[in-house]
Amino acid sequence: MKTLTIKRKLESMGVHECSVVLTDQSICIAGIAESLATKNKAGWYAAKFHTNVVNNIITDKNMRNEDCEHEQAISNELEGLSYDVIIIGGGVIGCAVARELSKYEISVAVFEKEYDVAVHTSSRNDGMIHDGFAAKPGTKKAYYNVRGNRLWEPLARDLGIQFRRVGSLILFRTPLNTILYPILANRAKKNNVDGWELWSKEKVKKEEPYLLDEQFGGFYLPSAGIISPYRATVALAEHAVQNGVAVHLLTKVIGFEMHDGEIVRVKTNRGTLQAKLVINAAGNWADIVAELANDKYFSLHFRKGTDIIFDKNTGKWQNHVAAMPNFLQIAEKTKGGGLIPTIEGNILVGPTATEIAERVDYSTNQDDIKELEKHIRLNKKLNLNQVITYFSGVRACTYSEDFLIEKSKKIKNLIHVAGIQSPGLASAPAIAEDVVTMSLQILSSRKHILKKDNWNPVRNTYPDLQKLNFKERAEIINKNPGYGKIVCRCETVSEQEIRDALHSSLPVYTLDAIKRRIRPGAGRCHGGFCTPRVIEILAEETGKNFSDITKKGYGSNIVLQSLEDHASE
Amino acid sequence: MNENTVNTINTEIAVLGAGPAGLAAAMSAKNNGAHVILIERENRLGGILKQCIHDGFGLVRYNEKLTGPEYALRDIKTIKSLNVPAFVNTFVLEVEKKENSFVLYCINEKGAYQIEAQALILATGCRERTDRQIFLHGERPAGIYTAGLAQHFVNIDGYLPGKEIVIIGSGDIGLIMARRLTLEGAHIVGVYEVKPEPSGLQRNIAQCLNDFSIPLHLSCTVKTVHGKNRIEGVTVVNVDESGKEIKGSEKYITCDCLILSVGLIPENEIAQSLNVSIDPDTKGPYVDQNMHTLVDGIFACGNSVHVHDLVDYVSESGTIAGESAVRWIRNKRKRNLIKFSHDNSVLYHIPQFVDFKSNNKIALYFRSKKTYSNTCSVNLIEKNSKTCLKKFKILRPSEMEKIVFDAQLQDNQNLMLQIEENYGNY
Repeated sequence: MKTLTIKRKLESMGVHECSVVLTDQSICIAGIAESLATKNKAGWYAAKFHTNVVNNIITDKNMRNEDCEHEQAISNELEGLSYDVIIIGGGVIGCAVARELSKYEISVAVFEKEYDVAVHTSSRNDGMIHDGFAAKPGTKKAYYNVRGNRLWEPLARDLGIQFRRVGSLILFRTPLNTILYPILANRAKKNNVDGWELWSKEKVKKEEPYLLDEQFGGFYLPSAGIISPYRATVALAEHAVQNGVAVHLLTKVIGFEMHDGEIVRVKTNRGTLQAKLVINAAGNWADIVAELANDKYFSLHFRKGTDIIFDKNTGKWQNHVAAMPNFLQIAEKTKGGGLIPTIEGNILVGPTATEIAERVDYSTNQDDIKELEKHIRLNKKLNLNQVITYFSGVRACTYSEDFLIEKSKKIKNLIHVAGIQSPGLASAPAIAEDVVTMSLQILSSRKHILKKDNWNPVRNTYPDLQKLNFKERAEIINKNPGYGKIVCRCETVSEQEIRDALHSSLPVYTLDAIKRRIRPGAGRCHGGFCTPRVIEILAEETGKNFSDITKKGYGSNIVLQSLEDHASE
Repeated sequence: MNENTVNTINTEIAVLGAGPAGLAAAMSAKNNGAHVILIERENRLGGILKQCIHDGFGLVRYNEKLTGPEYALRDIKTIKSLNVPAFVNTFVLEVEKKENSFVLYCINEKGAYQIEAQALILATGCRERTDRQIFLHGERPAGIYTAGLAQHFVNIDGYLPGKEIVIIGSGDIGLIMARRLTLEGAHIVGVYEVKPEPSGLQRNIAQCLNDFSIPLHLSCTVKTVHGKNRIEGVTVVNVDESGKEIKGSEKYITCDCLILSVGLIPENEIAQSLNVSIDPDTKGPYVDQNMHTLVDGIFACGNSVHVHDLVDYVSESGTIAGESAVRWIRNKRKRNLIKFSHDNSVLYHIPQFVDFKSNNKIALYFRSKKTYSNTCSVNLIEKNSKTCLKKFKILRPSEMEKIVFDAQLQDNQNLMLQIEENYGNY
């Protein structure tokens, strides 16, 4: 009779023609609602009765085309291939799992439907490696976050990417907040967070001299760190490739062939392949992949966030992550955002949190910028004139608002890694470890699995000139003059660094892919000066025409036609 | 470690940037007898003039209508004949201030250079404001470019950035590009300016828009960008006098390219790294009448000081900076600076300081805050007196004005500039 109670409740929320089915595996709700807000409210309510919520409530608002951003060419290049493991999704989770699996004597492939890895949520976040305090105690989020936080430092070293423990400061907005310290400390302790401190007003002032005066000390979490989320994802993918993993870009899974409760073949736009195990790390499309496998026992809902990035010359005014949350609202679903130093030396402000109906909507609007002003005012030196860019990302969330990391109960050789919202980036290395444990359990029944003897724990990288001093730069230029030719003046990127990226183990020949890897165009002039030069290099390296070079793959050409061709039309 | 990996060079004056300002500064420094080095990060001298193939350059300086490359070439030839060492493709990584000199850490394809100079002339030019700096929203397709980048695509690379083009902002480069792209066969849907008046020069409105029947929409701007891969259209909206969007006035316009001409920002990252004070009005360094910044030994000129309308005045400021820098390294006289401010009738003016022991002939450059269509006088206010420097029939923020005057300066007596509207006869 529980379902009847739930149904009544949903009806009172405004869900019409409501139905509720509660099984061991999930709770499935359906009906018609007038708004997305009602639909989501119903979903969150249902999550009180089962972790896995399938929300089939229809809203008036028509769902937009759910297809991905790019049209995939149909081919049969991959037809007939066979892999032990196919990972669906080249986000930070898929790439971290791939890298972890590359330690074993098995064949692994990552299928990514876009033109590059880290195109969606993995490149559209604030880069924070959270301390683990914010997650609700007892959740998977809390567990994986703290473990992941510890793993990132050595992992970043092996990957040759920067990681910095900047620490995170939760500012008190009233003197009364100070009495919350034992409660905050207790939560940090419950979550196994690596350290916490009570900072006085004076201590805050000393550590962060440019923060607003109207603060009353704060709660400090030294373990919080920052990385470049897209560089990290690319590095994980490259390292996996260097250790034998195949990354197939522009490859979209369109179906599965099942036999006896197992996936036997995976259908893609580039052919049908055999797989012993499939890992669903499809991010904002993870529920669709589950559905393709006839295993949809969870729904995703989508929460968009906008971040603002400030000019690098603001970086010196902020040392730690800082936020001033309203403690009355801390139980709510958003973390509330704050000021975050970026690994490149900017200040990032954000994110916002807005539920949206679409899986992908990266448009920005002025209301979100306005909302972020509450954080901007925390630092006296910041103002909107210093903004160099802003962007949106979309978090894929389950209605229980926790990660879903488990073997499918229905399909013997399928693992779901879904609902990896914040702190997903921080948790990724820990999630990857556990997914690999699950994978080995499944595979070991079919195959004897050994560790590779020749697994290289360190990613092969090209020189990072940012780390070099003047003399070292002089020496590297003597060896290769291309390192002395600066293409991007704002971020000091040399021509050879761009060419290096195009000869890496995962080269992608678009402007945005190069920007994510090496940063030309990511500075204050936003590519105003370097874009033609980067296009020239891309054209040279690929043997293509200037007008064939795109911003982000299919149909996003930078220029349309040569003047000559246009004149002769 | 090989001691010879870094080349060490000593000079009296280092000029950063070889656009029109840097070329003029290097020439005048050299002509005044100094040892000077020119450093340029691009592969050729000439700065942005290289891509400005339209004419209209040099009217003031040569009484001729030159194209950008022609104008630049005259200076480049002089620089070459004067044997000024010019380092192209050379990037300044960092500048360090020593007690009596500056050390520039530079790199190029040939190696690394440590250049020590007694004085620095910053001629670093400006960059364009981007779509993000005007808070353009919507989606993020390809096909959105600043006017200067579009100009590079067309004039240097030889490619059309789009065929159905919307231009946002009525800055001069945008107007020039409206004409240029029309000549190349593209269709300019219109120029949309958020302000009630165009921000470019009157002559460009006439020659680039009116002559080609390109519509200019005032008090109207682009609100939203549409398109996933390549831009497909924009929503434009009218704004009221306060710049607020008028609800219901939104209109969808199909286009395959959006070009922005929404202002220029002086590039002063090196100046700021050397603690040179920046004027919030010009976004360039505060300078005295000798183009000397508030840091002894650092001079600035051209568009890095403030954004000029005409290249002729850019060159002029370079010439002043060059000769002043030589004078300064020769005597290192302590300056006696008095503040030269303006009231709120003036948008900005140069110089913001006057060295009262130096030459008293002051070249004043200014822009009015608003359009004065009645006769008005530009006044210099000293302690208790008000002198009319010049009368104008019309003053517009979009047109920079110049007045040369002899200042009767006294110590500790600040100056102020003011525009006063005269309702009487001129």
